[in-house]
Amino acid sequence: MLENPKLVEQIVDRYSRDEGMLISMMQDIQAECGYLPADGLRCLSKRLQVPLSRVYAIATFYSSFRLAPGGAHEVTLCMGTVCYLKGAPDILEAVCKEFRVEPGGTTSDRLFSLQPVNCVGACALAPVMVVDGKYYDGVTPASAIEVLSDLPPAEESTEVIAKEDVA
Amino acid sequence: MTPPALAKLASPVDLEALAQQFRGDSRKASKCVRVCIGTGCTAKGSRKIYELFCEAAEQCDADVNIEAKCVGCHGFCERGPVVVVEPGEIFYQQVEEPDVAEIFRETVLGGRIVERLLYEDPATGKKAREAADIPFYSAQQRVVLSGNGRIDPTQITDYIADGGYSALAKALSSMTPEDVISQVELAGLRGRGGGGFPTARKWQSCREAKGSAKYVICNGDEGDPGAFMDRSIMEGNPHSVIEGMLIGAYAIGSRQGYIYVRNEYPLAVEHLKAAISQASDMGLLGKNILGSSFSFDIKINRGGGAFVCGESTALMASLEGRPGEPRAKYVHTVESGFRGKPTNLNNVETWANVPQIINRGGEWFAGIGTEKSKGTKVFSLVGNVVNTGLVEVPMGITLRRIIEEIGGGVPDGKRFKAVQTGGPSGGCIPAEHLDVRVDFDELTKLGSMMGSGGMIVMDEDTCMVRVAQYFTEFLQKESCGKCTPCREGLAQMLHILNGITKGDGEVGDIEEVGTLAQLLEGTALCALGKTAANPILSTIRYFREEYDAHILDRHCPAKECRGLFHYEIDREACKACGICLKNCPADAIAGEKKVPHIIYQGKCTLCGTCWDKCPFSAVIKV
Amino acid sequence: MPTVTIDGHKVRVKKNATVLDAARRAEIWIPTLCYHPSVLSEASCRLCMVELDRGDWRQLITACNYPVRRDIVVYASSEGAEQARRGVMELLLARAPESEELRAMAERMGVEKTRYPKVTESQRNCILCGLCVQVCEHLIGQAAIGFAGRGVDKAVAAPFRQPSEDCIGCGACAAVCPVGTIKVRVHKDQNEVEISPFKSRSKLMLCHECSAPVVSTEVAEKALQKIEINTEEFRELIRLCPRCRMLRTAKQLAAMPAYENG
Repeated sequence: MLENPKLVEQIVDRYSRDEGMLISMMQDIQAECGYLPADGLRCLSKRLQVPLSRVYAIATFYSSFRLAPGGAHEVTLCMGTVCYLKGAPDILEAVCKEFRVEPGGTTSDRLFSLQPVNCVGACALAPVMVVDGKYYDGVTPASAIEVLSDLPPAEESTEVIAKEDVA
Repeated sequence: MTPPALAKLASPVDLEALAQQFRGDSRKASKCVRVCIGTGCTAKGSRKIYELFCEAAEQCDADVNIEAKCVGCHGFCERGPVVVVEPGEIFYQQVEEPDVAEIFRETVLGGRIVERLLYEDPATGKKAREAADIPFYSAQQRVVLSGNGRIDPTQITDYIADGGYSALAKALSSMTPEDVISQVELAGLRGRGGGGFPTARKWQSCREAKGSAKYVICNGDEGDPGAFMDRSIMEGNPHSVIEGMLIGAYAIGSRQGYIYVRNEYPLAVEHLKAAISQASDMGLLGKNILGSSFSFDIKINRGGGAFVCGESTALMASLEGRPGEPRAKYVHTVESGFRGKPTNLNNVETWANVPQIINRGGEWFAGIGTEKSKGTKVFSLVGNVVNTGLVEVPMGITLRRIIEEIGGGVPDGKRFKAVQTGGPSGGCIPAEHLDVRVDFDELTKLGSMMGSGGMIVMDEDTCMVRVAQYFTEFLQKESCGKCTPCREGLAQMLHILNGITKGDGEVGDIEEVGTLAQLLEGTALCALGKTAANPILSTIRYFREEYDAHILDRHCPAKECRGLFHYEIDREACKACGICLKNCPADAIAGEKKVPHIIYQGKCTLCGTCWDKCPFSAVIKV
Repeated sequence: MPTVTIDGHKVRVKKNATVLDAARRAEIWIPTLCYHPSVLSEASCRLCMVELDRGDWRQLITACNYPVRRDIVVYASSEGAEQARRGVMELLLARAPESEELRAMAERMGVEKTRYPKVTESQRNCILCGLCVQVCEHLIGQAAIGFAGRGVDKAVAAPFRQPSEDCIGCGACAAVCPVGTIKVRVHKDQNEVEISPFKSRSKLMLCHECSAPVVSTEVAEKALQKIEINTEEFRELIRLCPRCRMLRTAKQLAAMPAYENG
């Protein structure tokens, strides 16, 4: 659900209603909401007069979009060639097993979402894991689990966000 | 030091005067500390180091003007964070926060070298004072990357002081669009994105195409895994890309440009946005640029996470706000591309070469490289190689020099097995071809390709069937699904490769893959599908015996494919410490104190825990 | 007018006509699935491959969207072209093994079975040609369905894979589906029409005379909006099933004086 009913309108105006910027608009919605809420996409389709089926096609074609809320933290695991050769598949397997999460999914306690990506272009640091924008280099299955276990739990971070909103 | 207020530049003379003024300014700061803020160094904490240097410079009451500056990627990411001190170009590597005070006190103020932070050549033990003394840099020739590591990518003033936008001024004031195209033709510049199409010919066709609205696009959707050349250029020297696009747009007759950047490159987007806004403020983008009749604007679009968008027609579909599906190119995009209008698309590195060609002349550029591949090429040299990083070399250099001289060879005493070039559409080149000269045509002859510049070194422990499987899986996940051969054919090929790596391979599998490969090459809609079988074909061509071992002997020679090798304990090396025994989840290891342990193969699940845990490397793969 | 030499036959076609147009004029059969004259050719199924003579080599092209701009020589029945088409057909058969339409076409092409196993669970028996999507958006103007996902797991679906709010139950998608995967199901007990597999349902308009189901109410409304002659008589006629419409017209005709005298 959209928390701010005016959000889509604001974003559409930001790009002067240019249909060509549809993907950028969707990225902005996701940046605000953490995912693409269905009502947001409906609203976007109406405002831009672009069929909802096309908006949905875009949302499911591009791998950076998410149709369900993610976790409190964003974990990206690089599966580029170098990271792959240096053991990224083992890290992925270990993390999935330890936190009972599917690649591309979110842990049941909403602690983090795990997104394997093609290549973050930081091959000199392989294997690489990115947590909330912070790069970790030379990651091993054990070090990845350690970093993720130390993440502040979901409730805390929602509280922080809520407080910021009030302020 | 606050930058001088930026006013719109009304003519090339204004630009030159401003450049003079900035150069005067930078001379005032007699000492400068340049901190790399490329993604590699940032990941290792260089932002904090930059801040600490800024603080130190501010608090310093010495009677000299000291400046701390953030700069783009030096390329030697392996050794980050990199800090260079002027004067003297003293090159410090692997700098940590506590080192800042020492560098500041000793080198910046005292003019003394901090020996322990210099690069030491592992072969000779010699310390290198400057970048030029390090073998990683000495064999390189930096043209496109010349500004990286020197200028602050977030300040247009730094770019202008370095001679930036003078090529644009030259083109607008003394060259016709035809002159520009003929210089690019003379240079022999070919597209750096992978195809190697002659840039001047593309520009000419687009210039001649009917219609007044024309577009130029910069393809910054660098999707090849293991490649980050374009990211480093966009992050480290965004104005060079913008200036190249301006010159190209002037030659083609376009008023609107787009830069399409991968979503995974937030820093590149940030730097490009700032650069566009600064260039607009100074009248280098917008209406009547430098007082001429030429007007041009640039918009930035972020990709949504789809490898196929590196393909020009898919990228254009994405720019139009649709899923990134390619379309047939029977009518070329220079005639009918973005929004059905003539469109010229070049890759980041191609655009970044243009200002240099205009400034130094096409003949100068053509003097570098081989007969049909001119200039330099940036590669990201990664994988099992000592010096990982970004290298720029003249075309025609041998693979051996890149890997052994610049890259320092394969680490840990391992044997070199292959180098993968050209990304998922490329192939693996074995040791016997290391002396090939790197250019567009030579790599193609070997069944690989130049591609955008990824160069992944693999050692003896790499299973080539798994490499083929990796790329096939990659492409299968990234196939847009529009056309039958790519969508279904890749899934079928992956199915066969999965079988081989699991030990279920059958005689005839390789021939079956060959048939599919031929079908894809002939019938797929776009280049992604047409070249998708290259990783498989090139590995079959050079490493057929590895495939045969998997299929016929159910054995993985590199001991990577689980189930196709087993673990044993080396009786000589085993110290009977019991660690493997305690950690084995299947109770498959037996042994007691002072007696070498053994693995019961029947019970072993091949999980590899014992191999991981053994402190004496006594567990071996057989 | 450029000339296309296709398997030795020469045909002249308008500039920018397609190779398929030329082949049809030359009465040479080239199998097609995703081609439909009413929509833009996306050439996604790749079944209509033919060889274009490039002098020292031959290039495989799709006949349905290759524009003829100059004199060209094309081979539709060469070994290369037939092998390519058969290869594509085998891949399609692995995806849609239960389609009778596809099997019939394969047979006509000389393909008896596929050597490939099934490799995806996604939307069985759909070859993702996209005709339904194009027709729904560009001809019907509803865009009720579109593609979802990508690659081998791509599917044709309504937004959020829910029954579409925009579907009017017209059945155009089913009519153009070349493999018979989209079906129109009439649920008489509920007076509803369902478009399968999208699960979209629309209320059926019942004949005002005999209560037989006619078309979905939305289709009837749309038809009324589109047609300019909108007399009360027409409004009434459109609410009847074809049989009752015929009967009523016959009655009216019979009541006309000309017939009385005739």
